[in-house]
Amino acid sequence: MTPIRCWSALVILGILSVCQELLLAQGGTIDFNRDIRPILSQKCLKCHGFDGEVRQGGVRLDTREGAITPGDSGEAPIVPGDSAVGTLLARVTSRDPDHRMPPADTGPPLSDERIQRLRDWIDQGARWQKHWSFEQARQPQPAAVPQVDWLRNPIDVFLLEGMKKAEVEPSREADRHTLIRRLYLDLLGILPTPEDLQRAALDRAPDWYERLLDRLLANPHYGERMGRNWLDAARYADSSGYANDDPRSIWPYRDWVVRSLNADIPFDRFTIDQIAGDLLPQPTDDQIIATGFHRNTPHQYEGGSDPEQYRVDRVKNRVDTTGSVWLGLTLGCAQCHTHKYDPISHSEYYQFYAFFNADEEPEEWQAHSQDRAEIAQLQDRVAQLSAMLTTAQDGERESIQQEINMTTAALEKTKRGATRTLVLQMSDSPRATHIHQRGSFLSPGEAVSPAPLAALHPFHAPKNQLPNRLHLAQWLAASDNPLTARVMVNRMWQHFFGVGLVETENDFGSQGALPSHPELLDWLAVRFHQNGWSMKAMHRQIVMSAGYRQSSEFRADLLQKDPQNRLFARQSRHRVEAEVVRDIALAASGLLTPIMGGPGVFPPVPPNVMGTSSAGHKWPTSDGANRFRRAIYTTVYRAEIYPLLSTFDGPDRDNACTHRNRSNTPLQSLTLANDPAMFELSQGLGARIFAEGGANDADRVRTGFMLCLGRSPSDQERDVLIQHYGHQLHHYRQNATAAKVAMGPFFPPDASPPDAAACVALGRVLINLDNFVTRE
Amino acid sequence: MNATHMNDAIVSNVPTARRHFLAQCGVGVGWMALAAHLQREVVAASPSNHAAANPLRPRQPHHQPTAKSIIFLCMAGGPSQLETFSHKPELAKLHDKAPPPSILEGRRFAFLKGNEKLLGPLRPFSQYGQSGAWVSDLLPHLQKQVDDMCIINSMQTDVFNHGPAKTFLNCGSSLMGRPSMGAWLTYGLGSEADDLPGFVVMLSGPRGPRNGAQLWSSGFLPTTYQGVAFRNSGSPVLNLETPPGIDPQQQAEFFSTVSQLNTLRQEAVGDPEISTRIAAYETAYRMQISAPELIDLSRESQATLDAYGATPSEPSFANNCLLARRLVEKGVRFVQLYHTNWDHHGGAENINTDLPLRCQQIDQPVAALLNDLKERGLLQDTIVVWGGEFGRTPLGEIRADTVGRDHHIDGYTMWLAGGGFRPGTVWGRTDELGMGVVENPVHVHDLHATLLHCMGIEHTQLTYRFQGRDFRLTDVHGRVVREILA
Repeated sequence: MTPIRCWSALVILGILSVCQELLLAQGGTIDFNRDIRPILSQKCLKCHGFDGEVRQGGVRLDTREGAITPGDSGEAPIVPGDSAVGTLLARVTSRDPDHRMPPADTGPPLSDERIQRLRDWIDQGARWQKHWSFEQARQPQPAAVPQVDWLRNPIDVFLLEGMKKAEVEPSREADRHTLIRRLYLDLLGILPTPEDLQRAALDRAPDWYERLLDRLLANPHYGERMGRNWLDAARYADSSGYANDDPRSIWPYRDWVVRSLNADIPFDRFTIDQIAGDLLPQPTDDQIIATGFHRNTPHQYEGGSDPEQYRVDRVKNRVDTTGSVWLGLTLGCAQCHTHKYDPISHSEYYQFYAFFNADEEPEEWQAHSQDRAEIAQLQDRVAQLSAMLTTAQDGERESIQQEINMTTAALEKTKRGATRTLVLQMSDSPRATHIHQRGSFLSPGEAVSPAPLAALHPFHAPKNQLPNRLHLAQWLAASDNPLTARVMVNRMWQHFFGVGLVETENDFGSQGALPSHPELLDWLAVRFHQNGWSMKAMHRQIVMSAGYRQSSEFRADLLQKDPQNRLFARQSRHRVEAEVVRDIALAASGLLTPIMGGPGVFPPVPPNVMGTSSAGHKWPTSDGANRFRRAIYTTVYRAEIYPLLSTFDGPDRDNACTHRNRSNTPLQSLTLANDPAMFELSQGLGARIFAEGGANDADRVRTGFMLCLGRSPSDQERDVLIQHYGHQLHHYRQNATAAKVAMGPFFPPDASPPDAAACVALGRVLINLDNFVTRE
Repeated sequence: MNATHMNDAIVSNVPTARRHFLAQCGVGVGWMALAAHLQREVVAASPSNHAAANPLRPRQPHHQPTAKSIIFLCMAGGPSQLETFSHKPELAKLHDKAPPPSILEGRRFAFLKGNEKLLGPLRPFSQYGQSGAWVSDLLPHLQKQVDDMCIINSMQTDVFNHGPAKTFLNCGSSLMGRPSMGAWLTYGLGSEADDLPGFVVMLSGPRGPRNGAQLWSSGFLPTTYQGVAFRNSGSPVLNLETPPGIDPQQQAEFFSTVSQLNTLRQEAVGDPEISTRIAAYETAYRMQISAPELIDLSRESQATLDAYGATPSEPSFANNCLLARRLVEKGVRFVQLYHTNWDHHGGAENINTDLPLRCQQIDQPVAALLNDLKERGLLQDTIVVWGGEFGRTPLGEIRADTVGRDHHIDGYTMWLAGGGFRPGTVWGRTDELGMGVVENPVHVHDLHATLLHCMGIEHTQLTYRFQGRDFRLTDVHGRVVREILA
């Protein structure tokens, strides 16, 4: 029997080895980070790494100093320049199974090829490098490559260099209709209106693409599309999670994200506002709202809970989230013990934790300062009146009491009317932070003070003051931080190419994948700084590249040479995310109401779906405009996530999600085919085809196809659809009652029901096509 | 390999007859043929040329399994072991006495303050079967099944609040965001049922379980593996009903047209993922046909309905037990039933009146399920698991002038039957007052390791890389309790 393996690990290893082969094929001298570190990291460091507590035989291989220092045996593992001596090579090549490293029970011996690499490296002087992502990004010069007619910007030079080395050609530019649909899906997450489509498709100017791109970057739907990614990372939800799953008001944070991306707030400010907006001098309402980022943690309110236990869990969630969102590091691994692979010690984890251990989490916070001021004023007045009451004469008492009652009523009214949100606040009495031995808060160890990771860039600790979240935020956004910019541009790349240059987008540590194009990654990271941390500028830069504009069609030669598309010699073809599935159906149907912001809405859902957990959420289905809002505004209850969102791989919102799965399941098919909310959109689309598509079948097919897919059907596609439309029309002419049921409410009163119902049937097929939910 | 070759490669895996069928009739006409005969047999006899793309296709286990399916009867709220399976005569003697302080050391409770008195067992116990297992009078039907059961009186868990403890029981961690056992199993093994979800959840009782869908989440695994909660009315799976004004023939035409157009697109762009989508639509269509049939209990004999105490079209735990049998019969990998409320603190959750009611609701159906599985030869490769997220304290908790029991994590009862567990077994023991385990503790991690083992999976080997770490159901813990396996 074939044993089950960890498929994802296999896939990752497969990709790593493909990368490595590609890279090795490029020849040249041994590069420590590329050729040697993976061997040490995968095979040695678990027992000979950073963690002194588990280190075996006094042998340390995670630093050069350690590797040239004699271990317990008295011999050094490595003597630079001479592979004939030193224990490392002797042990990995030993024929004695008891002596050979790595030990037999941990895996097979090293391959001859890897041993040779180690030997060459030692002979070449055993040069060490910091882990690649901990080194400062420098600005590499794009190499001079021929075939200049393909190149559109420096990104392409790096891509082409990789392709040349692997003897692969880039793909041709995608058709204009594909590019237009791709830009709309990637930048706005909706489909173009027929007018917008026509405008872009018929633009004769040579820079039509750039003009379209600039229109889209200025479109407010951009903030909703890009904000969705950030809200995944922020684990945004409208309820507390756990058993109670209490609804919470934190949508002002969601709206702040959308607004900030539309305004292109520089990423360093975007960072500082979210981590420590409250600690800035005279913070604005927005800067305080931004700290909602770390109030998106699940919160346990169940009776009988130990509050400290769950507070600790929330603080750890903040540490881990900060690690994965900004640093691309798996800090969580150091919760219980020193990180086995990356230089993050157990006590450093709790130093980082200490930054977030000084907070209060107010349950009541009015988002707007005028509300807060009014409330404070009314509260003062109540206090004042109450004081007066104690000293008042009998005659005055009644009128004072009356005023107290009135003021209290006004106070309650103001509170009720105010927009509330959740924010972080510094505690007046900071807690002492101790290491949690084995990760348990019940076993406190030595005391620690706030500090970030020593292995990264320097931290400028404040004088005469304990470092706080603001100092951490400044450290995260510092220009010499080797990780933040790389991690961010990599996630941008992932957005526009389906997969990052570093495929493990949340692990830039030594266990993560190596970048497929390290120089491109660094070039983008440096560029991000140079562009003043403008996210829009980076999006523009990437989208302007010829690499981005390639066709996504599969190519036989690439399936052989680069099945994972790590050379980016074609664009990615992938299903759109859950929210986009609904949003494009809304757009195609013409029913989308583009209202932005405000409390969550409740799109239609079948009976007996919501309200099945103990939280028993009510789902007052929205009517009118709110029924057809973009999915980013759908209320998210953690214990009962709106079915369409979870069926199409929406995240669980408990931890930061920096990359969504893209599964392809029968339940998704059932949703698109039968979900009443989806069918309603087919009815809307049908009415639109009926109104805009002329009277004959071919015109209707062409109109519907254009609305949904932004292109004309092929002859075969057209024939299949005309036949389907004809069958349905024929059927409904004989079943007028069924036609009236199927057509729905969006047709003019004088519409012929069989015609109308056949248009709906046509629309329903279009919404169910692979092509419809796929970004090509 | 170009797109055409890829299609050839896929088609070459299809049996000759089917290939002939495809070649002769084309995919579209194939769908029409299906529409003409909506019987399950015809559908089943049409293996898809896209089946290899199905992420739920059955996969080989690590080792020879002793079970193919699990039915997990989750008694949400934490049933009292002291009124069901854990016989404590000494506790009866010390009723209303203060406990010796030493036995409270190091224990944490949800609501108890520490000054409470011991509460003796509230029900009489007797021994039953060849095994002589003790069972209270609240479970008269299950008393007769003890020789099929492996009762563990020494269960332990880590957390004492409902939400986290339920998450722990299902996902091996009290933190949210981890995959549940059903998700791990379908990820590891796929499912034998090609027209139903591989992991089905059914709910009954006064309210839904705490934490809701988080309990059957796929966590960081692909959502393909998440549990599908059957609904208690309407069609069991969401969106199985054809939209209004569309008849079955038209629905078949719809699926056929979508399939034809997707096939054309695949020929144009060569993306193998389109094959997966075509397969998903085929499965969806089969599910639409077979799932309503599956939940139609009116096809069961009156004798069977009576045995379970089930009534067609009246949702109940009994109906769900009968459905569970039908699901494992079809090859569904993991079926989980939640029945609430077992949280008998006192007050509105009265241990004297509500607990007997709750027991009455589950006793007959569970016993019938065991018998039914046995008679049909299904019990040998189906594991039935019964229990809650924790047990209840031997100390009484005062609430609203009544006495109940608080959450207890240091020694409670779960039982298993079938699928390789040693029948007629009573395993593990708590001290005389039922406060802590004195013999053969079984932690929830051990239970997970053992269940995976029976399903043919080595629990340390079924892993998934997430946030830089290989996660597994048992975290870094878990021991296969071989002593209770046949």
